[in-house]
Amino acid sequence: MTSVATTATTQDAPRARPGSRRSWAWLGLVPFLLFALLFLAAPVLLLVAGSIHDNAGSLTLQNYQDLARPDIVLAFRTTIEISLVTAVVGTLFGFLMAYAVILAGLPGWLRAPLVTFAGVASNFAGVPLALAFIFTLGQLGLVTLWLKNTFGLHLYQEGFSLFTQTGLELVYLYFQLPLMILIIAPAIDGLKKEWREAAENLGATSRQYWRHVALPILMPSLMGTAILLFGNAFGAQATAYQLTGGTIPIVAVKIGAQISGDVLHNVGLGYAMAMGMVVIMSVAIGGYLLLQRKAERWMR
Amino acid sequence: MGHTQRASLVLLSAAAVFAGAVPAVAQSPAASTAPAMSMDALVAAAKTEGALNVIALPRDWCNYAAAIDGFKAKYGLTVNEINPNAGSGDEVQAIIANKDSGGPAAPDVVDVGLSFGPDMVAQGLLQPYKVSTWDQIPDSVKDADGNWYGDYYGVLAFETNTAVVANPPKDWSDLLKPEYKGQVALAGDPNVANQAIQTIIASALANGGTLDDVSAGLTFWKQIVDAGNFVPVIATSPTVAHGDTPITIRWDYNALANKDQAAADSGLVIDVAVPASGPFGGVYIQGISAYAPHPNAAKLWEEYLYSDEGQNAWLSGYCYPARFDAMKAAGTLDATSLAKLPDATGAIFPTLDQLNAAKALIADPAKGWNAVVGAPPAAASTAP
Amino acid sequence: MSQSPTTIASTVAAQAVATGSGKPGSHRRRRDRLVWWVVLIIGVTYFVLPLFATFQVSLGMTVPFKAYTNTFNDPKFWYSLLYSAVCAIGTILFSIALIVPTAYWARLKVPRARPAIEFITLLPFVVPPVVLVFGLIQVYGGGPPLGLPITSTDLGSTFLLIAAYVVLSLPYMYRSVDNGLRAVDIQSLTEAAQSLGAGWPTIIFRVILPNVRLSVLSGAFLTFAIVMGEYTIANFLARPAFGPYLSFLGRTKTFEPAAVTLISFGLTWLAMAMIALIGRKSRGRVTVVAVK
Repeated sequence: MTSVATTATTQDAPRARPGSRRSWAWLGLVPFLLFALLFLAAPVLLLVAGSIHDNAGSLTLQNYQDLARPDIVLAFRTTIEISLVTAVVGTLFGFLMAYAVILAGLPGWLRAPLVTFAGVASNFAGVPLALAFIFTLGQLGLVTLWLKNTFGLHLYQEGFSLFTQTGLELVYLYFQLPLMILIIAPAIDGLKKEWREAAENLGATSRQYWRHVALPILMPSLMGTAILLFGNAFGAQATAYQLTGGTIPIVAVKIGAQISGDVLHNVGLGYAMAMGMVVIMSVAIGGYLLLQRKAERWMR
Repeated sequence: MGHTQRASLVLLSAAAVFAGAVPAVAQSPAASTAPAMSMDALVAAAKTEGALNVIALPRDWCNYAAAIDGFKAKYGLTVNEINPNAGSGDEVQAIIANKDSGGPAAPDVVDVGLSFGPDMVAQGLLQPYKVSTWDQIPDSVKDADGNWYGDYYGVLAFETNTAVVANPPKDWSDLLKPEYKGQVALAGDPNVANQAIQTIIASALANGGTLDDVSAGLTFWKQIVDAGNFVPVIATSPTVAHGDTPITIRWDYNALANKDQAAADSGLVIDVAVPASGPFGGVYIQGISAYAPHPNAAKLWEEYLYSDEGQNAWLSGYCYPARFDAMKAAGTLDATSLAKLPDATGAIFPTLDQLNAAKALIADPAKGWNAVVGAPPAAASTAP
Repeated sequence: MSQSPTTIASTVAAQAVATGSGKPGSHRRRRDRLVWWVVLIIGVTYFVLPLFATFQVSLGMTVPFKAYTNTFNDPKFWYSLLYSAVCAIGTILFSIALIVPTAYWARLKVPRARPAIEFITLLPFVVPPVVLVFGLIQVYGGGPPLGLPITSTDLGSTFLLIAAYVVLSLPYMYRSVDNGLRAVDIQSLTEAAQSLGAGWPTIIFRVILPNVRLSVLSGAFLTFAIVMGEYTIANFLARPAFGPYLSFLGRTKTFEPAAVTLISFGLTWLAMAMIALIGRKSRGRVTVVAVK
């Protein structure tokens, strides 16, 4: 890597004065911390402050008490369900797709288009995504009509509907899967080919390879990314709103309605719900960070 | 123009420039009795400000495209069209959020549902202004102090995509017919959208309810959901035209605008029918923001809207403008637009109190839309 | 005899190092490969179908390609596309300038700060965009306590938008760059460069940055897509960005949104493919060489 012998330089300050050296080094992080303070701390503090005030401006804990309202509890439960399902399915199938183009022996040129496509698709959400799926699986959708005309299968009569929780989960996968592909690809890259070949040399079957070699190595990354996917789905709002018009209770949609809607909105309640989101996401992210640490071992 | 006139005009302009140039930081609501400017002075002052910020004005809503473009052509001002998708509540929020900045996101004028007027006055968000044609606006739709004033009204109508629905509904009870499985939608989320709320009120009237108690409307929509006829997608012009929400209820001017667009786009025929049991009307109101960054441009805009030209612009969008009766008597209504205007005689208009009560009921988590109607049944069987 | 997964894995790894590659049964491989093809095809079908359906709808006007000609003739389309693209590039540059030195410095000099920094970079996941934008408007809208009306001009609002986008892209950018730095021995590189008399700017721009180019590009990918598709923040800051444009179109027009969706999808994909191409061409590490 370097073609110059790295001699131990005595050019920098010696390690003999840890106190002053350490404080000097922290200065290098000031730009970042300043940015975070200016543009991230501000809204987060607003969140906290707003959640303990009511519309008249006085301090109150009523907003947090209101979180126990059945419709809000339902919203949290529904959103968690949707996020869990799309995280698990997204992790599974996203991993399979990523593995397929990286290590499964398929033509190498497949990888680049899939990864770049994943980059675009991972942010394809909101109005265009909802419309695209309505055009595909709506009552007059491409697939719906094709199934009717070719197989005589009336999707909507059989009980399927795009505008249900299941339908929404199907739509969410469109940006969950690509996100998984993008994030797990480097981890799969780290799964060295030699390991598989060595395992086979030792007489391992495919299943044994997976069970004892590949999956243990990948598991922290997989679980970590699953948690990331959970968070991604949990915060999504525009797609759900456009597709189901607020009939499926989603926390982010409810927050939007309280903060910027009309009919008797309660801004403080919106912020309190957002704090609920913060707590749930923090737990998820904490789990992600933990698993990241474990995954780092194998990446070296 | 004589010396003194020119001098006073210059003085007025200078004052306007000064007023416009001072950054709108911590601006308090304008004094309630500012002396009315002459039209020329107003135009000059507005031109100095140079721009107008409008919000929540889709170009095909009452043909606002004609009003905006006409205003731009006549006075040469730039018009910043903020968030055309916004609902009335979003407009209020935009004023509050931007009251100290006077920037491009701060609306100068708002066009909101009737029930928002008194609320906004109470919150100090409007500044009064009486246009030169003030007296021709009916008293029932304007604030005595001039803070808000009705701009146009329309009636609710069924909007049906005839390529998908062979037999369009003619009245509220038709919506329960089994042939409409999975085809009926609301044009908004009842928790926040004015059009959806008004639809529920109107349907209440047709089902034994009264303007003071609209719970019959909620039960009616529950019946629609139970019959499997409800599709939870928010209906918009494209979803009707594409057939995903083939039947919806919207203001007649929106339905008619969509009818024109669909015919031009793809030859699709959209049927627009006022419910047989009687028309139900809704009024929208104009107001100038108390924190308007361009107050003179705002006033000029109001003068334009309430001039014959502005009123006819709305008329061409199938809306009944506020000065309708006066202009009809004077014969200044545009004949072509008038001929195409849907009939709204006998329309029922809820009062402010009734509107507020209805909104409160619909939004109530225990007794309102979410509780009574809620999410549609998951396995709603529908015919394609 | 049950061994823990990690010890088995370690054994395999050691074996791989010791014996090098072997020659597995090709029959089994072919069957496996078929399975993977099926997986890929199912996935690709899932992704392509909605796009194809959108394409079909976009052709539904009486004059088939009118949706596309209408779009290309709409000045607002070009303006919003350009505006968002410029914001995206601004965001990427700002992000790189902020994060690469920070990640590098933290790894090199202040490793104890890394968990705190990681936590900060994950905060954007936790804050919904609508709360973020309302918070920013409140703080920088000219009111108390700062009295700084940044949102009172177009330029100020655009600046705030880019700052918000940098916040949104923090998790991805930092993670990518950090992963890239991990694979590089920055300690040695830095010492070598310093021993040749390089100052900090030179080190960062000409030694570190080229070595993490691929990671930076990967982060830039995601940032570009995020900015192009973003709606909420641009909407509340009243910025003429692509997200609000498309959203409004989707509520009023029937056929044009389908055309615009496909065009923007295609253009974004093209941009990313170009970025990837540039990245691939310049593979390889930068070495520090002393030339006498």
